[in-house]
Amino acid sequence: MKRIWNLALSALLAGTLAACGTGTAEPADNSADGSSTTADTTESVSLNVTTTFAGEDGNAQNFKNSVAAWESKTGNKVVDTSATSDENFKTRIITDFETGSEPDVLFFFNGADANDFVKAGKVVSIDEIRKSYPEYASNMDDGRISASPADGVKYAVPVNGYWEAMFVNKEVLDAAGVTMPDENTTWEEFLDDCEKIKKAGYAPIAAALGNIPHYWWEYGIFNHQTPENHLEIPGAADDTIGKEWVAGLEDVKQLYELGYFPDNTLSATDDETFAMFTDGKAAFLLDGSWKVGGIVANCQSNPEDPSTLDTEKLDHFDVTYFPAQNARKTTDLIGGLSMGYYITKKAWDDPAKRDAAVSFVEYMTSDEVVPLFAQHTATALNNAPKVDETQFNSLQVKAIAMMSKVSSFTGAVQDSFSGECRTSTFDGMPELVTGKKDIAAAVQEGIDAYKAMQD
Amino acid sequence: MPNIYKKKTWLPLFLIPAFAFMAVFLYYPFFMNILNSFQSIRTLGVPSGAWNDPWYTNYVNILHDPEIWTSLKNTGLMIIVTLIFQVGIALVLALIVDNVKHGTGFFRTVYFFPIVISATALGLLFNLIVLYDKGMLNQMLEALGKTTLTDWKDESHALATMMIPVAWQYVGFYFVIIETGLNSISSELYESAMIDGASRWQRVRYISLPLIHNVLVTCSILGVTGALKVFDLPWTMFPKGMPVKTTFLTGTYMYYQTMEVKNVDYGSAIAVMIVILGIVLSQVAGVIFREKDY
Repeated sequence: MKRIWNLALSALLAGTLAACGTGTAEPADNSADGSSTTADTTESVSLNVTTTFAGEDGNAQNFKNSVAAWESKTGNKVVDTSATSDENFKTRIITDFETGSEPDVLFFFNGADANDFVKAGKVVSIDEIRKSYPEYASNMDDGRISASPADGVKYAVPVNGYWEAMFVNKEVLDAAGVTMPDENTTWEEFLDDCEKIKKAGYAPIAAALGNIPHYWWEYGIFNHQTPENHLEIPGAADDTIGKEWVAGLEDVKQLYELGYFPDNTLSATDDETFAMFTDGKAAFLLDGSWKVGGIVANCQSNPEDPSTLDTEKLDHFDVTYFPAQNARKTTDLIGGLSMGYYITKKAWDDPAKRDAAVSFVEYMTSDEVVPLFAQHTATALNNAPKVDETQFNSLQVKAIAMMSKVSSFTGAVQDSFSGECRTSTFDGMPELVTGKKDIAAAVQEGIDAYKAMQD
Repeated sequence: MPNIYKKKTWLPLFLIPAFAFMAVFLYYPFFMNILNSFQSIRTLGVPSGAWNDPWYTNYVNILHDPEIWTSLKNTGLMIIVTLIFQVGIALVLALIVDNVKHGTGFFRTVYFFPIVISATALGLLFNLIVLYDKGMLNQMLEALGKTTLTDWKDESHALATMMIPVAWQYVGFYFVIIETGLNSISSELYESAMIDGASRWQRVRYISLPLIHNVLVTCSILGVTGALKVFDLPWTMFPKGMPVKTTFLTGTYMYYQTMEVKNVDYGSAIAVMIVILGIVLSQVAGVIFREKDY
């Protein structure tokens, strides 16, 4: 009997190991021309998709709705792993590519953040896709689709543009006796306003410098430059551009020393300081166009149901230009088309997924879907539909009004100064503003990392 | 019929799968990690570019890296906190529970419960408790008349805010081990002591504590080595050494360098340092808390 049990256990163990061995999926048929289709493409396909349409992003719900519509139309499924756009998200995506677990389709930055996986040949160019699918992104103006800085080739199909500007909680301004800043507000006037707000018992600026210092980093530097030279990377901390970067970060330090950021700015998360802004405890919030949706959702009793919008509460919020100094005009904004949909080589080489991936991107970048996402931002559509302002809420209308006076859009230089280069001044921002680290040394550290990456 | 338990010819065959698993997923990465610490690797998953020049560059950098010293200091503090608060509180609780007549199972479940909750969930829970505006703690203080908010994550409070949940989380783990040790002591010893007129404290002092000495030694060594590996809860509450890089532990700093800064070879060198530290500290702990034979 014991022998039988031992044989049975041995067989079970051997069977388990054999099952492990045969559990590997059959490799896709990667023929040279990629045209082989060994799988039945009419079967439902499960597509792994990652975007930044999540969390406080104003298009999070639009994305969910669009995905549901595409799933219903095609019978395919989307496994959505979208997350809030921050450094962790970027790290996750880059690591996923490096470890071979990248998604099939991703909505990601088209700047230097994508360099690693572009150089590794892990995404498919628009031109390559058009060889098999001539209509792919044909509704877009190619001239407005950004090429990768890694090789000058276009990979990402854009949806909506972005802008970065200063949101204002007017309730706080009223309580502090401060008037709404506009296109004529100078840096000195902004500092005066901050002082009045602080004296009234509010935090002038909602920002988590220990978590998301990006916007202050960008505009701080931009305030010492012009749209013409903002995208230049300094050669050294003591050359002309380098000094402008140092001066910009010195401004952020000055604001910190004056006590214009929240008391917990070095230990808070971005969500916490955003809550301070929407709860009427802070006056200004420097952020991106995606935050419009976050503010609106905050004014709804049910964040997922627009019909529950408290319009009176929303009317307390406004958006305006970031006050300028030096040669930059207040109406010079950071903005552009910095993100787009990529199709990964992994999905492209998988006959079962290729059609679905192309279909998904075509749907999400169609003339019908793009305007839903773009709203008050730019698109790359050839035939952009006319904006119907009556469909917009008060904050969106204010954003459109602000856009009408913009004198220039300039991309964010941090998109070319990717991850590792920014560590000393992004992660290191708390040390810079508290004076624990020299700003010029931190800038030089970033430049050295940038040069090492270029080698 | 031959006794198959005496025939050991095929025994090694059954050890091979486990050995292969260990070799592939533990020893190979470990030795590769040592190799990587001498090479230049700028991103994860990418082969190394070349050997560092000189090859021991990362180990020299470790000596001059202020964040390394911060993380070592914090880890040392974590070890002390572990020994005093985790093992210490667990011992006190176990002794109390051992002396109650009813509800032992209830207390065992209650104290052990934090162990089964994911550390990330606990981190989020404590994040809400210590939230600046307005977490549970600040609301309670406000109700008691405090007029200003306290930032429990600022430089002066951060370490305590990080270590209290970590200590709290593992008290139940050591409690169960010590409780089991106490249960294994024969009740006859206590009864004899009672007949001889020993007080409750004397029974604890002269019977319980000596007889669970070896259990406490095991707990202490587990605590010391465990403190070196603490990662998830501190990272959830204080990512990137927030604020101002003052809360790094050896584990969180290694992760930061590898995954955030992408300095993979330097992260590997820190990992080697952690392993060496672990071996040294467990040996030291073994000498200090030497087991006794009874």
